[in-house]
This record gives sequence, structure tokens and C-alpha cells, in this order.
Amino acid sequence: MFANLTSSMFVLGDYTSSDYAWFPENASTFATDNDWLFAVISIVCVLFFVPIAGALFYFAYKYQKPKGTPAESNTAHNTPLELAWSIGPSFFLVGMFIFGAKAYLDHRTVPDGANDIGLQAFSWGWTFNYGGGMYNPELHILLDEPTKLSMRSTDVIHSVFVPAFRAKKDVVPGRYNYMWFKPTVASEKVSDEVLQQAIDATEAAGGSWDFDRWQFTQDGYRFFDLFCTEYCGKNHSNMQTVVVVHETLEDLNAWIDQYSKRDPKMDPAKYGQTLYENRGCKGCHSLDGSKVVGPSFNQSYGNQRPFADGSGLVADENYLRESILYPKAKIVAGYKPVMPSYKGQLSDDDVYSLVEFLKTVSMYNKDAADENSAGVDPEDQGDEEEKAEAPAE
Amino acid sequence: MSAGSIPSGNQIKDPGYPTSSENYLTNSKGALSWLLTLDHKRIGVMYLIGVMTAFFGAGLLALLIRLHLFRPEGAVFSGPEANNWYNQVFTLHGAIMVFLFIIPSIPAALGNFLVPVMLGAKDVAFPRLNLSSFYLWVAGALFFIAALLASRLDTGWTFYTPYSTTTDTSVILATSGAFILGFSSIFTGLNFIVTINTMRPPGMTWFRMPLFLWATYATSIIQVLATPVLGITLLLLIAEKVMHIGIFDPEFNGDPVTFQHFFWFYSHPAVYIMILPAFGVISDLISVHSHKRIFGYRFIAYSSIAIALLGFLVWGHHMFTSGMGPLTTIIFSALTFTVSVPSAIKVFNWLATMYKGSISLTTPMCFAISFIFLFTIGGLTGLHLGTLATDMHLHDTYFVVAHFHYVMVGGTLVAFLGALFHWWPKMFGKMYNETGGRISALVIFLGFNLTFLPQFVLGSRGMPRRYATYDPEFQTLHQVSTYGTLLLGVGLLISLVVLLRSLYKGERAPANPWGGATLEWQCTSPPPFYNFDRPPLVGDPYDFSDIFWDSENERYVTIEPDRKIAPVEQPEPVHAEGNH
Repeated sequence: MFANLTSSMFVLGDYTSSDYAWFPENASTFATDNDWLFAVISIVCVLFFVPIAGALFYFAYKYQKPKGTPAESNTAHNTPLELAWSIGPSFFLVGMFIFGAKAYLDHRTVPDGANDIGLQAFSWGWTFNYGGGMYNPELHILLDEPTKLSMRSTDVIHSVFVPAFRAKKDVVPGRYNYMWFKPTVASEKVSDEVLQQAIDATEAAGGSWDFDRWQFTQDGYRFFDLFCTEYCGKNHSNMQTVVVVHETLEDLNAWIDQYSKRDPKMDPAKYGQTLYENRGCKGCHSLDGSKVVGPSFNQSYGNQRPFADGSGLVADENYLRESILYPKAKIVAGYKPVMPSYKGQLSDDDVYSLVEFLKTVSMYNKDAADENSAGVDPEDQGDEEEKAEAPAE
Repeated sequence: MSAGSIPSGNQIKDPGYPTSSENYLTNSKGALSWLLTLDHKRIGVMYLIGVMTAFFGAGLLALLIRLHLFRPEGAVFSGPEANNWYNQVFTLHGAIMVFLFIIPSIPAALGNFLVPVMLGAKDVAFPRLNLSSFYLWVAGALFFIAALLASRLDTGWTFYTPYSTTTDTSVILATSGAFILGFSSIFTGLNFIVTINTMRPPGMTWFRMPLFLWATYATSIIQVLATPVLGITLLLLIAEKVMHIGIFDPEFNGDPVTFQHFFWFYSHPAVYIMILPAFGVISDLISVHSHKRIFGYRFIAYSSIAIALLGFLVWGHHMFTSGMGPLTTIIFSALTFTVSVPSAIKVFNWLATMYKGSISLTTPMCFAISFIFLFTIGGLTGLHLGTLATDMHLHDTYFVVAHFHYVMVGGTLVAFLGALFHWWPKMFGKMYNETGGRISALVIFLGFNLTFLPQFVLGSRGMPRRYATYDPEFQTLHQVSTYGTLLLGVGLLISLVVLLRSLYKGERAPANPWGGATLEWQCTSPPPFYNFDRPPLVGDPYDFSDIFWDSENERYVTIEPDRKIAPVEQPEPVHAEGNH
């Protein structure tokens, strides 16, 4: 009982210092249904629990007798009483079931005309497909508009969970699963100065964007957490992204335009680094030589690659391109053929940018590699690219 | 009549104490007399040592988990392999606790000791099968240790595909271990079903059985019917991993959700393998230490069977978010609610048993009260999870973690400890220090609540389970939980010290230290190797009217009216020729 008390005091202490107590922010239409139902069930539980615990401790105190004292009563049963407490609670259960199932059906049926966003889950990241060749690891949606996610996994089971929306669905390989929600709270945007400070600090530190530290995205939006809730291996707990709710369609479109392709003035290698961080390369390929799931990129371009079938070659642009679009064509010895294909998900310019990025991070004998690729005619490369041109999904 | 006096005109029926040649612990000596024993009591003691060792190991892993979660970025493991370490630790914690500790704890360790004695029988129906169950358990445990040492298992105890079929950790070793443990469980269940069906003594009808036996019987039914499905599932998983037969892995046209159906078709009933024996224990503990007839015997007995049967129909509630059809999902939700009714009935019956009783707050009773409190929380929070809309939010969060720990630890573990303290004098013939025992019960109760109450809030706030690192906003509650774990660990250590100390310093236990009316209290403590020299008289297991406290000898005794033994004259003993 005391433990109950102390921990509830911790909870209370937390309550006063935080914006929320039992739930994260209520930010979707589901949240209202869910929180109301949760509260009703909890009240019913308390109504049962308090008398039960009260009777338990009261009886233990009241009927404590010296050894050898016979019991005051030895009633063996009381059928009406037993029937009452067998059947009585059932009414509460039926109520919970009906309200729960009804809300569940409402939350499951995708309304007509919902905005459809594709979701690909992989170990350990997310790629949202906004159509028109725009892929991004962040989920950006429109306020007060139902959004449907068509979800597939390219490796193991994952699960999408947005606590602020009270929505969750597994992403199962070998089938499509769908979920939808209608956000009711827009993400605020922080002031430009605050954003600039954060960007400067991040660049000074040289690391990647720290969402936990800043609590807004690189574009300055506050966000809701999106977690993976189905255990999926080593970096399961890092498989998180953000949900940003835009107030207007113009705002959302502006964001999409900004990320849909490389600004022609931008250095391809730099854009390749963004793709490396955003599109899931980073989860499996390190830059420092350590083995994660796939080979490290610091031994990619210009290095001798031994393959599982015994053959091998020096990694050149075409090999890298093939590995991105047809990852199972050549498997590096010591690794498993688990990488999903990026065919159709990366534009030609994206692949080019990635290869340029790989050249900057790979450690190799540059002179030797230059000699090696000296024979490659730029025209030839152009043909290859056309051949590999993949239809958009 | 003052409390404790024996009414005149009656005589005391008490078996006294065993001689060391009768005592099952000492009647034969040497390691082999234990390792090859067919005595159910010795097998029970070996199981007890085994499951306690497994519990100790998996408990240390739990401590590592909680210490790691003291800080958002992880406090114990560091470096590039930190997450891998954490994943292996929680996998082994779950797998060892489930397969090596909770499932065999009450049924195999205490059931083996108690079932035949409660039946007034000399042993279980198939003593050799019984010994083989124990060695299968040992073999399964060795496989788990091998999996631990070989290459580190990190699939979670649920072995979900396709992660388990694609990871290169020792899934095959561990599933083989679980497969073997399954057979151990099946054999034990089979043995108890036959024993209870065929070896009840004259006069012990089904409704004169102690409720522990009803619970054991219901548990055994589940073990025999459900465990083979686990065996099949694990074999299919191994076949998928080795031969790619294409049943669970989408890469080969399998469906991973099929694995979940198979797995939970066993593992949900297995939850009842874990909790039903605890219900049986608590029914007996509450009645004996309240010195009052159990209230609603038939409702409790029937509800055990109802839980065993309904438990087979609710496995889908582990998969509400996996994308099952809406109708299937709703049916599973409805069935899930039905299974909560029999559990609620039991709680009300236990309270009614305490009402107007004569309660002794002994250590076992403290654990029993703690059980009712904790199990009620565990059961009630199941309603949030059975309700579909709220489960969408709570599924796979810390709310679920807290819920099942309230049932499995607050329920089964606390009942196991209560049972251990209750039958310890019977098993080892020693009384322990009551004050120490009660303090340990209190500390465990406080530590447990401090550990797991905050986790309900963590869950409803959206903290996913099986996370090696977490967002900083969850830190306070995680830290409270870690402090609770330390307190819980201290409580468990006190229990262990109290029990072990009793073996050396404890007073000799009388045959009936608590005033129980079931048959195990009618033989000596510890029982002779043959349990009873003749089948005991079977009375009502919950009739305490002829049990009195003998304050002079600190024991309870059964009395019976003085009666003449006829014929008064004994015939002259006749010795056979040449027999000295």
C-alpha cells in the first residue's frame, strides 16, 4: 500500500512539472475516444479495486486472532451472493467490449478520400513515399485531413506507433497493412533565430541532427514521436522518426518541394550525404570501418571486394550503382543478402549523388583507382544509366 | 473453553517425528541415491533447486536490464555493441524466466512433492517418467546455456519470424532447448492427470480434493494439450531456418503472422499453466491460515477448469495490431473478456474466506494477501488491454510489460514464495524465523510495486517495450522503477537467507505447524520415504473443526474421540520357524 502511495507521489510530482500525466499530447481524433475509454475503464477498475484492497487489509486486521481460536463462521457458500459477483461484473465487461470494439472499427475503417502516403519500413528506419519521386524519412501530413499509410516492410516485422495519435499498426513483410489518422493539432514552427542557433551548433559539433536535444526538426517544426514497437533487432530502439503536422497545404507542398530533389547548385556529394542519412543507408553501413549489417562505406569505392561466391572485383561506380539498385546481385563475403532494392526509389541523380558521396568517404589508393577507371568512357557510363533506369513505383 | 485447550474425551492423533531411516531426506545416502531416485519428493527437491537456480540467474539479468535503463542512453552497456548486449539480456531474461522458472516452478517443483502426499499415495503413477521429466528439464536448461555461450540469442523469448529465421544468432539451439523443455512439461502433466484420476484414496471424491489438486489437474490438461503445439511450431521454425520450407518467412512465400498464431496458441494457454497453480496455492493458503472453510469450493474448482478451457480461445489478443481481419479481432476481444470472469470469482471467494475467519498473519499468509492485492491489479489492467480501442495505444508498450509482470511476478512468483514458506516445514522438517519471513514478504511487496507501478504510466505515455535506449522524457519513471528493482532484490535475498538459515538453525517442525486439514499434514515433517504406511482416512480438506492448537508443543493436532480398540486382546505373535 505504501509502495502504491510513494510511486503515485512520484507520478504526481511528475505531473505537476510536465505538460501531461497519463498520456502524451492529444493530437488526433482517436486520442479523444481512446482517452475517454481509458478513463472509464480505469474508474471501473478503481471502483472494484478499492473495495477489494480495503476488504483485504481490513479483514486481515479485524479477524487476526491468536492461534487456536476457531473461526467465527464456517459458511461454505452462498449461491445468490456468488451468482451476483459472477454475473454482476459481466455487465461492465460487455460495456467495455462494445465501446472498445465500436471505436476500434471506426479507427480501422479508412475514410474515402484520405491522403495516401506509402510507408516502407526496414531495419532500422522508415521511408515515406509522397508520390512524384519524393521519399523522406519524416512523416509530414496535413492538419484536420485524414491520412492513410499503405505500409510494407522489406525485411522483418516492424510496427508504427504514434503515441500522440494513439495509433499503432504492425508492418508485416509479405503483405500490406493500412492505418490512418486525422491529426487535430498542428506542429508549431520555432523562430528562425532559434533554428539557426541549432543548425550552427549541430554543424559545429559535426554530428547529425539531435531531435531529443532540440525538440524540433531541421526545418524548425515541433514534432510528434513515431516509434517502432515491434522488436526488430539491434537498433530497434533507434528506429524512430518524427511526425510533423502542417497547417496549410501550401506549407506542406513547400516542404515537399524542398526535399523532392537536389538543388542543382548543391554539391552532389553533399546531397549524397543527406541521402545516406535520410534514406536508411546509415542503419546498416558505417563510415568508420565498423561492421554493422552491411559492409562499411569506408572500404567501398576503389577497394577490392571479395564476394560470397568466391569471385571479386575492385568496386567502381557501376558496381556501387548495381549494389544500390540490385543489392542481391553480388554479395560481399561474410554478409547476408538482406538489403532491400532501391530500384525506383532513387532517381538517377540520387544514385549519382550517393556514388559521389561514397567516393569522398572511401579510403583507397586514389592513384591506382584513377588508373583503373581511366579506361571507362563517360559515354559508356551514360548507356549503363539508361539501362538501369527503373520505372517509378 | 480457552483457546488452545483440547476438549476432554478426545485423543490426539499426531504422527510425531520421523526417524532418520524413515525421513526421505536421509533414508539413503550418496549422490546417486538422489540422481537416480524415483521418490517424487526427492525429484521435487531437485526441481526446486533447479528452478531456484534458473530464477536467480534470470533475476540477475533483470537487474542488469533495469540498471541499464537508469539513463536514457543506457547506463550499463556501452560501445557499438551496447544495443546487442541489451537485446540478448532481455531475451535470456524472458526465455529463462518463462521456460525454466515459471512454467515448472509450482507444478513441477511443488506439485511433484505435494500431489502424491495430498492424495495419501506413495508416489506418482509413473515414477520413472517423472525422473525422466526432470532430466529433460536439465537437458533443456543445458541447451539454453549453450545458446547463451555459443552465439548470442537476441530474438526475444517469442522467436518472432522472420527476425528469428534471418538472424545468425543461436536460434536453433534455444528452440531445441524449448522443444525439450516442452516434453518435460508434457510428461509431468500426463503423470499428474493419471495420478489424480487413478490414485485418489477411497473416500476422496472429486469434490473432496484439495483445491491445489484441482488447479494442478487443470494445469496438466493445458500442458498435455497445448505444449505439443509449441513443439510443432518450434520444429517448423527450425525447418524454415534450415531448409526454407516457406511457411513463416515471406522471402519464401510464408506468412510471419502464421507463426504468431502458432506460437500464441501455445503461449497464451501457457500463461494459465503459470497462474492456475498459483490460484490453487492461494486457495489453500488463505483457507488454512484463516482457519476457515474455503468459501465457494465448487465455484473455485469449476473456475479453474473454465479458465483452462477458455484460455485456449483467446490467443489472438496478442496480435490485435498485426493486421488480422476486423471480425476475428473483435471475436478475440470478446472471448478475452469472458476469461476475466472466473479469475474475478476466485478473488471474491478468497476475500469471503477471510471474512469472519481466525487469521494468523504467518509468512505464507502475508504472501497470500500480497498475491491478492497484486494479482487484482494485474487482472484489472488486463481490461485496458482487452478493450480494442485502448489496446491500439497500449499494445507493445510498458503498460503490457507492467501488466504481465503483475500477473507473473506479483501473481505466480509471490504465490510460489508463499507456497514455499507454507510447505517448507513439511519438505525439510525445519521451522524458519517468522519475523524474517514476514519482513521479506513486506519488502518484496513494496519493491515490486515500486518497480512496476511506474511502468503502467510509462506505457500509457507511449514508451515502447524492448528499447535499449529511450527518449529523455521517460527518465524519471524509469529511475523509480530501477530503485524498485533494487528493493525487490533485497526482499528476495532476505527470503533466501531466512529459508537457508532455517536448515541449520531452525527448530524441528511439527507434523502440522499451520493447522491444515489436507492429508500432507497427517504425515511427519519431513514425510517418511513411503509417505503413509497405510492409506490415511480421508476427511473434508477444509474442515478445521477437529484441529486444535497445542500451545505446549507449538503445534496443531487433530483430535478424535476416545474409542476402544476392539478386540482389546492382541493375539500372541507367531514367528515362523527359523526366523529370528
